[in-house]
Amino acid sequence: MSKGRVLLAMSGGVDSSAAAAVLKEQGYDVVGVTMQVWDYNKSCDLTMEGNGSCCSSIDVEDARSVADTLDIPFYVMNCEAKFKASVIDPFIQNYLDGKTPLPCVDCNTFLKFDHLLKKMNELGCDYLATGHYARIDKDRYGNSVVVTSADTFKDQTYFLFTLPPEILPKLLFPVGGMEKPKVREYAERAGLSVARKKDSVGICFVGKGKYAEFMEEHGNFDPKTKQGVFKQYPDGKILGKHRGIHHYTYGQRRGLGLSHHEPLFVIKTDVSDNTVWVGPEKYLFSQRLEMNNTHWHTQLEEGEIVDVKIRYAHSGAKARVYKNENGTAKIEFLESQRAITPGQAAVVYRDNSLVGGGWIL
Amino acid sequence: MLASRVMTLEKTDFYPDLFSAGDKIYFDHNATAPLCRKIVSSAPELLEAFGNPSSIHQFGRRPKKIIRDARNQFAKFIDCHPLELIFTSGGSESNSLVLKSEFLRAKKAGIKNPHFVVSKIEHPASIKSIEQLKELGLKVSWIEVDRNGQVDFSQYQSLFQEPVHLVSCMLANNETGCILPIKEMCQFAKSQGAKFHTDAVQALGKMEFSLKELDVDYASFAGHKFYAMKGVGALFSKQGNVIENLISGGGQERSRRGGTENTLGIASMGIVAEFFPQQKSYIEYVRTLRDSLEEKLVSRISNLEILGRETNRVCNTSSVFIQGVDGESLLMNLDLAGIAVSTGAACSSGNPEPSPVLIAMGLSHAEAQSSMRVSLGWGSTMAEVDRFIEELEKVVIRLRAIKENGGEL
Repeated sequence: MSKGRVLLAMSGGVDSSAAAAVLKEQGYDVVGVTMQVWDYNKSCDLTMEGNGSCCSSIDVEDARSVADTLDIPFYVMNCEAKFKASVIDPFIQNYLDGKTPLPCVDCNTFLKFDHLLKKMNELGCDYLATGHYARIDKDRYGNSVVVTSADTFKDQTYFLFTLPPEILPKLLFPVGGMEKPKVREYAERAGLSVARKKDSVGICFVGKGKYAEFMEEHGNFDPKTKQGVFKQYPDGKILGKHRGIHHYTYGQRRGLGLSHHEPLFVIKTDVSDNTVWVGPEKYLFSQRLEMNNTHWHTQLEEGEIVDVKIRYAHSGAKARVYKNENGTAKIEFLESQRAITPGQAAVVYRDNSLVGGGWIL
Repeated sequence: MLASRVMTLEKTDFYPDLFSAGDKIYFDHNATAPLCRKIVSSAPELLEAFGNPSSIHQFGRRPKKIIRDARNQFAKFIDCHPLELIFTSGGSESNSLVLKSEFLRAKKAGIKNPHFVVSKIEHPASIKSIEQLKELGLKVSWIEVDRNGQVDFSQYQSLFQEPVHLVSCMLANNETGCILPIKEMCQFAKSQGAKFHTDAVQALGKMEFSLKELDVDYASFAGHKFYAMKGVGALFSKQGNVIENLISGGGQERSRRGGTENTLGIASMGIVAEFFPQQKSYIEYVRTLRDSLEEKLVSRISNLEILGRETNRVCNTSSVFIQGVDGESLLMNLDLAGIAVSTGAACSSGNPEPSPVLIAMGLSHAEAQSSMRVSLGWGSTMAEVDRFIEELEKVVIRLRAIKENGGEL
């Protein structure tokens, strides 16, 4: 007896592949789908694996092979136009605005949990599943909430703060209750070819660290107009010329090409005159942030102390959140934090459960 | 009369029951057709003739004869001289071969920028060959095709203001089934001193034609669209044409295509041609089914358009535009229900962009994305048509309801 039909987003990686095997074992009818979001023929060497990319052609073939092994229907959906408009273009614009973008959240917001949710309905599926490390649980009022995964290191709830809470009952995260080594073991036992495949790292469409090249190739701007000078923070002493502000992000230390008696970090970028301000590490610390476009899953109590993550790899810090009417909010940390980076998300947790989040200004 | 024809043709031993796959329905014959049963039963014997057809010793004789027989059978079927046939690996090779060969011939004759006239709805094998040749100096003029898949003859004629070396235009279009006026187009091209190639891959077995009558210089064919095997096809090259080969080799196919012959594949084309003597009745049978399918489509589903319905089409193809329905979702839904149709050409299904053919015919991006292709075959039945219509209606109603509701059910 089937427990229902599930549309599963498959990237060709271990996690979503194992998710397919888990769902099948649990008795769901699984329909696998890979979103073709970027034409890697244009930008990547097709024979290379593990370009840090999640949807290159090789990965599509891996997903297909997993679906074949498990004998589930599998489709490739072309989402290039939507991906470009909702992920790539904002990514480039964010960089040019001097921010450090977080495209995975946009991909979740506009592709995985919007476009695929529509497809779920269109294909008569009951659920939408992904290979995210996250869990869905009920709070004490019986409402569905997102809870961090069993694998605290891999936990991906940080990328899920924009999920509309009302869709949670439709979502399944089949590997969220497992630790990564168990997921690999599971994939191995299910005979999946991808069981030992390398984890993807970085941003799927860029490739290792080549952000500036990527933007010059795909952005609609003249790199020459982005050139300017390094200034020492805060006194404004000019330290040299730089290659264009799109080469630098907040907190960056490597690749500045400046020799100085102490390590220098990017403290801020000024897009009005292309100035990149650099200074010693102490200027990267701050105790507060402001954010906009906030999304809330559960209520906060006045003055409540919560945990806030300011980047994916951040372990979280105690803070108080002050919401405003217009969807912005202010966060004050109990201790000062290093590199609170504009363009990244601040995501709020109570214990293990996701409270909400917003975009750091 | 009609009912009895349907009855008698329903289970012929021509069409494989090995394919009447239980409750599944295959309506994608323009992508590929199932194998003629006779090929399966003849294969063991054919495979025993393992010798190299070029060998002088006795092991070469039997395969050589198999190829000769197939050449004669297929030549008779399309009405040409057996030696005018070059066996290739399929339609893509045939198209690539003729376009590149003619380009090279022109270059060798000292023409700096050879001028080809090509229709906008050609198969990617042709379009991409043209793109490649453009980098080497080819000049191309495009034949426009309208929403009914028809050529505007005066637009076509206007492309001959400069001397034209070769015209390439398909006989029947893969997505709409529209038949192009090749005979007239060819006549005009000849009067202007141009050679004429037609891609006849989608015409084979779906309409009656004779190469003698069409009078073209070249024509491409593929085995697998014609119930023969994959990996084999042919190029008709009229006597007197010189071919610059793509694959150089040991002198096979009169030095026009190198490589030891694909004996079994070539034989399979002969078998279908030989075993398909009542071409007309099969074509009429499929046309009856298709017309009935279209009548039911139009009467049961609102805001639906059948492209090129009023024009001359091959017997098996329906290109259907269904307003407010995403073709990709439609195809997946039907697939999950065990019914195979297609959107766009199958070759591009890994990359489901809207069909370039439909765009060339003047459909908007959105319209092309709301289209599907249904292509019937010699084994299709009225019962399948009815089940298809029923399933399609259900899916369309659901998809439209979801769309009206902003993505939710």
